Amino acid sequence: MDVVLFIFPAGLIILGALIVVFAKNPVHNAMGLVMTLVSLAIIYITLNATFVAMVQMLVYAGAVMTLFLFVIMMIGVDKKEQDAESIKGQTFLISGSFLILISLLTYVAISSNFKWDLWFPAVDFAIEGTPQIIAGTLFTSWIFPFEIISLLLIVATAAAIALAYDIKKRKDNA
Amino acid sequence: MKYLFLVPIFIPFLTSIFLFINKKLFKNQITNFFTLNGSLLSFLVSGFVFFDLATNKFKDYSIKLFQWTNTPNISIGFTVDGLSATMLLLVTGLSLVIQVFSTSYMKDDEKYTSYFTYFNFFVFSMLLLVMSSNFLVMFMGWELVGLSSYLLISFWSNKESASKAGNKAFIINRIGDFGFLIGLMIVLNTFETFDFKTVMSLSSTISESTVTIICLFLLLGAFGKSAQFPLFSWLPDAMEGPTPASALIHAATMVTAGVFMLVRVSPLLQYSQTAKLLIAIFGLLTALIAAFSAINQYDIKKVLAYSTISQLGFMFIAIGSGAYVAAIFHLVTHAFFKALLFLGAGAVIHAMHHEQDIRKMGMLRKNMPVTALTMGIGTLAISGLPPLAGFWSKDEILASVFVNGGVYYVIWSLGLFAALLTAFYMGRHWLLIFAVDQGNNHDDVEEVSKSMTIPLLLLGLFSIFIGFINTPFFHGLEKVLHYTLENVYVTHLPKGVTLVVLAFVSIGAGFTGLTLAYLVFSFKVLDRINLDSKLFNTVIALVKDLSTNVLYLNKYGNLIFVKGSRVLSRNIAAVIDGIVIDGAVNSVAAIFNKTSKAASTTQTGQVRSYIAYFGLFLVLLIALFIVTPLVNV
Amino acid sequence: MLEVTTDWYLTLAAILFSIGFFGMMYRRNALIMFMCIELMLNAVNLTFIAASRHFGTIDGQVSVFFVLVVAAAEVVVGLAIIVSIFRKQISASVDVLNLSKG
Repeated sequence: MDVVLFIFPAGLIILGALIVVFAKNPVHNAMGLVMTLVSLAIIYITLNATFVAMVQMLVYAGAVMTLFLFVIMMIGVDKKEQDAESIKGQTFLISGSFLILISLLTYVAISSNFKWDLWFPAVDFAIEGTPQIIAGTLFTSWIFPFEIISLLLIVATAAAIALAYDIKKRKDNA
Repeated sequence: MKYLFLVPIFIPFLTSIFLFINKKLFKNQITNFFTLNGSLLSFLVSGFVFFDLATNKFKDYSIKLFQWTNTPNISIGFTVDGLSATMLLLVTGLSLVIQVFSTSYMKDDEKYTSYFTYFNFFVFSMLLLVMSSNFLVMFMGWELVGLSSYLLISFWSNKESASKAGNKAFIINRIGDFGFLIGLMIVLNTFETFDFKTVMSLSSTISESTVTIICLFLLLGAFGKSAQFPLFSWLPDAMEGPTPASALIHAATMVTAGVFMLVRVSPLLQYSQTAKLLIAIFGLLTALIAAFSAINQYDIKKVLAYSTISQLGFMFIAIGSGAYVAAIFHLVTHAFFKALLFLGAGAVIHAMHHEQDIRKMGMLRKNMPVTALTMGIGTLAISGLPPLAGFWSKDEILASVFVNGGVYYVIWSLGLFAALLTAFYMGRHWLLIFAVDQGNNHDDVEEVSKSMTIPLLLLGLFSIFIGFINTPFFHGLEKVLHYTLENVYVTHLPKGVTLVVLAFVSIGAGFTGLTLAYLVFSFKVLDRINLDSKLFNTVIALVKDLSTNVLYLNKYGNLIFVKGSRVLSRNIAAVIDGIVIDGAVNSVAAIFNKTSKAASTTQTGQVRSYIAYFGLFLVLLIALFIVTPLVNV
Repeated sequence: MLEVTTDWYLTLAAILFSIGFFGMMYRRNALIMFMCIELMLNAVNLTFIAASRHFGTIDGQVSVFFVLVVAAAEVVVGLAIIVSIFRKQISASVDVLNLSKG
């Protein structure tokens, strides 16, 4: 049962990732990404991280992807991208590194008989990823990063406004 | 009391600095006051030192002023023994006499004070060389003496020939100094010390080949300084300097520095037969070449210059035969009569209003009787007629050479021939200046002033009587040098009948030379015989030509060394510098250029290529981590 | 019976990461490159959660929380930049941005 619950979302994830990389229409890319994010949330739930899964669905698949789709609408579909590779030697580099990576991974996988030693054994009990427990850690030992990222969000908002602001339009309007 | 001998060394130094600072201010009178009093004081103090040493039977003592390092032992020190005390007395005495002469000779010169500055500096450096107790101080004196000589030769620096002569002297000296320096380095390497006493006492412990090598290099230095073959061509050109300076430097003191140095290292020299034979052979060669060149020179001072070279050759022959006492004896006597001859020549030049060609002189003994008399004494002395000084010293040298036997018999006979030639050309010199009528008008020539004639008379007196310090009946100089040469095997004179026969043979040689000179030049025997033989005439013409041009040695030397090195350096500049070195440097720059151009192709400015490089190296990093044993796979 | 151990999740995350990285190198459209960055970030999130489950601590999930926030902020700013650059152009290819060539 567990295996099926793992294999199915895993397949969806990989399928979505491949769609993101290889699709021609940007909207198809976005849809592939959504599929990946949702399947990831499912896997989080199987790993007992329920709060994180919900947050992911809300923030990522909800807000971030909507934002992406908005921008795709504004910038538009780009047919010109079908040209040949313009940077010299790029194909070499990509294919070269990819091949090295694949061979590395196969070497690692085969030489360890698909059994990786993670130095510490897994624990028996299962932790609950409930909001209470997360909040308990977040506001005590992780308080400092918490405050920092609130600052970060403010900065991001201000940056976004500053970047997209058009002074000329504002003057014309006023 | 021990430090008293430093006074005569440093008084000339202080005088020279004092005169140098006040070069423009001082008139002749004030300069005379300082320099004459200074040299008189030095002479008296050195006389005192000599007598003090004599009461102690000439046992040597040395003082050390400053120790630089302990091993190897390098220090500044001075030693007073028989040899250095003799040289001290000689140098200060001669400098006093010659300075008195110079006050009158250089009277009208505008660089009067500079002359005395350089003169006193020379005296200081010569004394430094002579009183040294180790090779380092001697080398310092050696170099400074070369410098003073250069300053004095090119004294009238507006004359181009004088500056060239100064350059030539310095450069040829430098070649000798190069050998000397290498010899010093080998000495320091072998003995770990520069001190004379230590080196001499250890000299029996090292191998003969090392001794030979050391002696050969030191010999090169002596050749340069003492104008032996092949480094002798600077001395005739050095006659461009003022005559009193030539009298002191190039007759009596500086050129004898080589002889002095060889006698100083004689405990080391005695262990190398090869070096000694080489010294004798080169001395002989020099003596013959110089004597031959002197027989047809026309400049009054050049004859004396070649004569000096020839007599130095004699001293080197003496050293090469192991007769060190004879060499020093000849050094002392030669100093006196050569200085006398040079000062006399200076008096003649001054009276003839700076005319130096002897073909323009003649019958001057009527105009300048005192000068003629004293120069006559000098000529007889150098020809080796008893009881004048030259006879005792020259005879002692030739007798010591004869005693050694073997190849030294050849050296003896050729040395005798050189003595004959000496008498011949010196006789010619005196006759052509003072006795023979060459048809020139000398109404305006008169005897020089007292301050020039008194030194001449003084030196003449010494030339007569100085020979008695080391006769076979009274070995004065041997006693003086006893402690200096105590570990050295000195060749002794033969005894009895051999000695008398040898003495008569050398007297005969001198007498024959003088007679031949009289016959040829005064009696004009060649014109009277009137030989129509073409062979005879061509031989005479050839002899005259070769003699005047110094066997064309200078011409060929110039061709080979000067022109040759010019061509070589031009080649080197064009080929090696232009092609090889510039090519190497340029190609290094070109390599950098190419590499940077190739490296800059990675800076495409495109984000995606950077990402691609990033990915490649990330993968390689992962590979590195997997391969190294840090990660347990 | 096969058990789903932690290495399975880690393998999945690795594959996801490499697909995202490869896509970033391959695509020229700025927006699509951004989406590949999102893929990589999500692979990291999955690694954190799997590690949290493996070691029995809650810190992994808290880290995911932070990564999520940072990713969102980054998307905002990045898209704002992309909009401001490519507003006036026809194509959204990043190859036109080569001012730092040399």
